Amino acid sequence: MNALAAIGEVLVLLGTFFYFLSALGLIRMPDVYNRMQTSTKSATLGSLGVMVGVGIWALGTDFGSIPWLTKTIVIAVFLLLTNPISAHALIRAAYKSGIPLWEGSVVDKYREHLEAKEREEVEETPAEEGGEE
Amino acid sequence: MLKRALAIILLLIVGYWLAQGLAGVPFGQDKMLVGQYYLDNVKQQTGAVNAVTAVVVNYRGFDTLGEVTVLFIASTGVGALLWRRKKERTARTEGSIVLTTGTRLLVPFVMLFGAYIFIHGHLTPGGGFPGGATIATAFLLLYLAFITYEIPHKGFEKTEGIAGMSYVIVGLIGLSIGGYFLFDWIWQTWNFGTENVGRLLSGGFIPIIYTIIGLKVGTELSGIIDNMLKEEVSE
Repeated sequence: MNALAAIGEVLVLLGTFFYFLSALGLIRMPDVYNRMQTSTKSATLGSLGVMVGVGIWALGTDFGSIPWLTKTIVIAVFLLLTNPISAHALIRAAYKSGIPLWEGSVVDKYREHLEAKEREEVEETPAEEGGEE
Repeated sequence: MLKRALAIILLLIVGYWLAQGLAGVPFGQDKMLVGQYYLDNVKQQTGAVNAVTAVVVNYRGFDTLGEVTVLFIASTGVGALLWRRKKERTARTEGSIVLTTGTRLLVPFVMLFGAYIFIHGHLTPGGGFPGGATIATAFLLLYLAFITYEIPHKGFEKTEGIAGMSYVIVGLIGLSIGGYFLFDWIWQTWNFGTENVGRLLSGGFIPIIYTIIGLKVGTELSGIIDNMLKEEVSE
């Protein structure tokens, strides 16, 4: 019984440590994209650790029962599914509204891709018109 | 600058005044008059384990009816304010594939969870209003992820009206059976579920009322979202 409580405590500690790291990343990183990168990943992992840890911790105590673990796992899975999607939507919206990359960034393949697409469209339209004539 | 300073000073005075008023209140002491009665009698009188929903639906059911009416008026008001002959969604960019796929996956679960909240109103925290809001969130997700999505209007508006009417009808049945308006006839006349307090099939008419309220709130908030997301199209 106490081994379960110990495992849960270790997991919660790990989770809070990753929460701390994500908060640190929020202050430390230079631009939006890097900040999102550090904060969302470690916050997701931290939440998973804390929630599953709480479930296991409760199992090791005398008031704990299986429903604790079930509920925490359900919440953890929900968070695991939704957090990356929200991070993706935020980042995409940030890029689309023109927030620049950090000046130290080397490569921006997405812009290249968008520009290539635009060029293709520009090249295609006169060709079609020429064909009609 | 002067305006801001004056506002801050005024707020400080009001805050100090409120703090003075609250300083005399003995928090944490046993000063309950009505509250103690609710806590002592809630299980025998209503069958609900969740005392808040018992108070909201049973003891003070009239207030909840008023709240539902307020929401209905809000929805109708938004509809009347934003009324146009022809409206369409004018969103231009579809959500990315991650967003649309994620929405497809998540919407059923969000709706299921909303239904869970309002069905278990007498057992767990929540009730009709949070459950309904969760269901409306699912529809908001659909609206945000897909550019052409629209709620099925006919069904929605009918559900809204029928739900509002059935709340009043449940209350009127209590009145006609020989109690008062919103009298809990399932619990007190039928004695339905009196032996399994704390399980799903108990709680008198609280689960029924909350299912009605959940459907009503869910459809109403979705209707408000729908009204606000549409723009007029010139023909």
